[in-house]
This record gives sequence, structure tokens and C-alpha cells, in this order.
Amino acid sequence: MAERVLVKGTEAIGEAAVRAGCRLFFGYPITPQNELPEYMSKRMPEVNGSFLQTESEVATINMVYGAACTGRRVMTSTSSPGFSLMQEGVSYMAGAQLPAVLVNVVRGGPGLGDIQPAQSDYWQATKGGGHGDYKLIVLAPSTLQEAVDLVSLAFDLADKYRNPVLILADGVIGQIMEPVTFPEFKDPNTLPKHDDWALQGAIGREKHVVTSFDIDPVVLEKMNLELVEKFKKIESTEKRWEEYKLDDADVVITAFGTIGRISKSVVTRARQEGIKVGLFRPITLWPFPYKRLEEIVKGKKLVLDVELNMGQMLEDVKLAVKDNAPVAFYKRMGGMVPTPEEILDVLKMELGR
Amino acid sequence: MAKNYAFIGLFGSGKTEVAINWALKLKEEHEKVAIIDGDIISPYFRTRDVAEELEKMGLITIYPKGALRNADLPIITGGAIGYLSNEEYKTVLDIGGEENGVVVLGYLRPYLGDAEISMVVNIARPFSSTVDGIIKAYEELRRVVGIKVDYLINNANLSYETTSELVVKGEEMLARVSELIEVPVKFTVIPDFINEDGNEFRYPVFKIKRFMRMEIQ
Repeated sequence: MAERVLVKGTEAIGEAAVRAGCRLFFGYPITPQNELPEYMSKRMPEVNGSFLQTESEVATINMVYGAACTGRRVMTSTSSPGFSLMQEGVSYMAGAQLPAVLVNVVRGGPGLGDIQPAQSDYWQATKGGGHGDYKLIVLAPSTLQEAVDLVSLAFDLADKYRNPVLILADGVIGQIMEPVTFPEFKDPNTLPKHDDWALQGAIGREKHVVTSFDIDPVVLEKMNLELVEKFKKIESTEKRWEEYKLDDADVVITAFGTIGRISKSVVTRARQEGIKVGLFRPITLWPFPYKRLEEIVKGKKLVLDVELNMGQMLEDVKLAVKDNAPVAFYKRMGGMVPTPEEILDVLKMELGR
Repeated sequence: MAKNYAFIGLFGSGKTEVAINWALKLKEEHEKVAIIDGDIISPYFRTRDVAEELEKMGLITIYPKGALRNADLPIITGGAIGYLSNEEYKTVLDIGGEENGVVVLGYLRPYLGDAEISMVVNIARPFSSTVDGIIKAYEELRRVVGIKVDYLINNANLSYETTSELVVKGEEMLARVSELIEVPVKFTVIPDFINEDGNEFRYPVFKIKRFMRMEIQ
């Protein structure tokens, strides 16, 4: 077995990116993800890559846009208010079909919020944070090993679909320390070069144009429809989720990220008390695994959705569940994280026990 | 026996867990024990995050109280100096990671008295997994603080995956470091879920309970 090392979430994401062949990182500091750019500032020179601390998140995302035009693997990371600032650039990148991996280590909001963990950027991440018709592929890790694996996947998906991919982590995932095993290093020279569209010098060939725009509405509509087709394809092939002890369950907890991991403890404790609970944890928040969740909840006594926000994924859970089971919701906000006991009490109350 | 104790080290070496457990051990023999959250680097998983639990166990906890508790500001309260200087109190200092965190110790140096300074080392961390890496970190921390490090502490751990084999491997590596830099090893940390019986440890064992944690199973 490869070596296990103890790492912080931000370091885990950074090292996983380096190993996935990322050699370009642009970032601006914001808590609770500061160790990620700090790690990259040390690490990029070691692997002949480039790290640049920009003057703002607006500058960051436009540098990511420019770097992504070369077809090389590029990443940035930020936290909630910073990601809001990036939205214009994210929309442009999605429109221009540029691959990149973006990381949002979510903290409390709205506005300045606080530096504690939250999941209140779900809507922004999955329903379009910027303007126009587009989608990001959104991956939500609940452990550091999963974060490492998903960073690698994120770069592959970004390349495959020419679309920005967002790692939606919360502050706990950013700051916690856990053992992980890193994958082997990918040689950047063996990665997709994107010779068919990337801007790498037009000597001896027709010029490439990377743009989200066409002045002719007939052409622009075609570009829009091309995106729609791409998003349909992603929806049909890239849904990912985890099912935990659902086979004999009467009650289904739905949760993502950090609450997903806490909910596993709830499942264990509930079962010790004879309540058959299982967990459905979406890993891709977009595309959301509607169909599978609908199949699972048929005939269940209760679906309890738990989130660190006012009920954002709850809308997708309800779309999936329809009238197949009653849906209850429990939330903590402002940087508060519930204990397993607290969630179990809510669950028992909902069941009338 | 020293009046003040400070724990330094790289990010994630386990300083906070060791500092908390050391303060609780002091509390077994001393009426008045204070623990200072001197971590200006980490936004959470700090001593202050378990302050109420520690207060219940009889420790005095020193950190910016009230609204500034969770402010993203590098604050060391005046109380830190008070407890470090007060002869009635055994005082433990939990310092943030790396060279940026350890500047706090440099700032508090005039008030440390005969403080015992220990460097906590976890060989399962990427930048302290070799003898050279540990010595480089030691030289860097010492340079920033301008202070003598009295002891090394073996805290080889992979969180909930820690095994006695890893702990022993940490001892072997620290023994070599100790010989090269001529700083003795104070103790080996083992988590409460590892049974020390049947294991041959080179250094005295310091058993700890973990306070910083997040549910997984």
C-alpha cells in the first residue's frame, strides 16, 4: 500500500492538484483556505509551475481564464465572498468552454459572514452563480481522501467536457486533518494538449478563437445549444453519490460534504437504538442524482435532509422525492455545526419517538 | 520543574492536543493551571474551540473573549503575560504552526521565565517525515524565536489510524535527530486507543485523549 500521510484539507487539495498535473495556480488570500495558496506558493516552484498571488479575486479568475486558454491544467481556490467576486469570470469561462478547477471552501454568509464552516453556497454553485445559461460540474467531498480523489477527477472532467469544475468544500474539509494516500504524479506532457482549440501559437495553422460571444444571434444561439447538449450529456453520465446502509432502512438522511460524514455517525447511533436509518450522500451536487434518490425513498417512513444552510439542497431533494415519502429538514447556520446526538434527537422527534 | 511550558512545531504536528493534555496532567498535581491559546494561524480546531470543556475540567483558558473570540485577527490578550508572570500558576502555551505562528513566542519571550520549550514532531506529516526535514524545521523555528529548544516530543500519528508501529518508527527517527542536534526527547505520545502493554517504547509514554475531532463513523 502507498504511504499514508497526515494532511490538512487545504494541503490535501493542493498536493492532489500538483499530482494531477496542475502547474498554474492563481489565488488571493481569504480564510478558511489560506493554507492552499500558501502551499501552492511553496510547491509550484518545486515542480516547475507558476504561482501568482493576485490583487483581487476578480484579477484571479481572469488570470485563470487566460491560463486556461492555453489548454494547460489551472486551478484557483477561494472562500465564499471571494467566489462571489469571481462569478463574472466563471460565467465567461463556461461560455468559452474552458477547463479549469475552482475550489470554494465555504464559510458563513451572506455578506461578510464569518470564517466558520457553512454550506450556504449550494445554490450559487449548482444553479448558476453568474449570468447566462451555464452549469458547473460540482463535486462535494466529505473526507480528505475523497477530496484528493475528487481533485484528480475534477481535472479529468474539466478536460473531457471543456467546462469549469467546482470543488465545493466547507470550512471543516478545508481545516480538518486526516490521513490520506496520494496518487502517483501525472506527467503534464502526457495530458490532453487540446491542440484543436487551445491558444498555443498559430504558426503554420489557422488561428483558434476562444470566446463566449458572437455578434450574430443565430450563431450565438447555436453556441448556446451546443452547451445545452453538453450539459445533457454530463447529466446522463457523470452523476455520483454514496449509499450507506440503505438496504433495510426505514429512514433516509440526505446530506452532503461535512454533514454527510457526521450523518454516518447518526446512522450508527440510530441503529444502536433500533432505528433503521441509512444515508444518501450526493457527491456530484450538479448533476444531482435525482433518479436514484427517487428510487431509494419509495416506501420510506421519512427523508431527513440536513444542511448547514437555510434549505438549499432541500429543493433538489424534494424534486427527487416527489410524493414518495415525507421530507423533513434540519439546519444549522452561521458557522454552527451540529453534533450527531443533536441530529439524532431531531430524527427521533420527527418519528414521534 | 518549570513554571511555564510552551509547545512549538510545524503545522499539524499536534501541538494543541499535546498542550491541552499536558495542562490537564499538571492540573492533577497543581491547583492553578492556565492554558494560553497563542495560535494566531489556524482559524479553527484551536484550544479556544474546546475552552468550555477545559474550564469544566478546572483549567483557566486564555484567549480573546467575547466578540473577538472568532475574529480573523492575530490577537494575544494581555492576560497571557499576566499568567506567564504569575508565580502561583503553572502555565501552558499553545503556539501556532510554522515560522509565522511561532513569532508569538518571540513576542512573549520577556515573560517566559524558565519556561520549558518543546518541539512536537509528527513524522507522518509531509515536511517532517525525514531526519533532514525535522532538523530544517527545528533550525527555522529556533531562528525565528531566538530561543533554546529544551526537548523534542515524538507525536508520530495518523489521527484515528495511528498504530504502535508508527509510534516506534517516530521514536527511531527522533533518536537520530536528537543525537545530531543534541536535544533530548522528553516523551512519546500515544493516543488513548493504543494499548501500551506489550509495546517496547524507547521513551517515557505520555498518553493523550483527543479533543480536536470531527465525526466520521
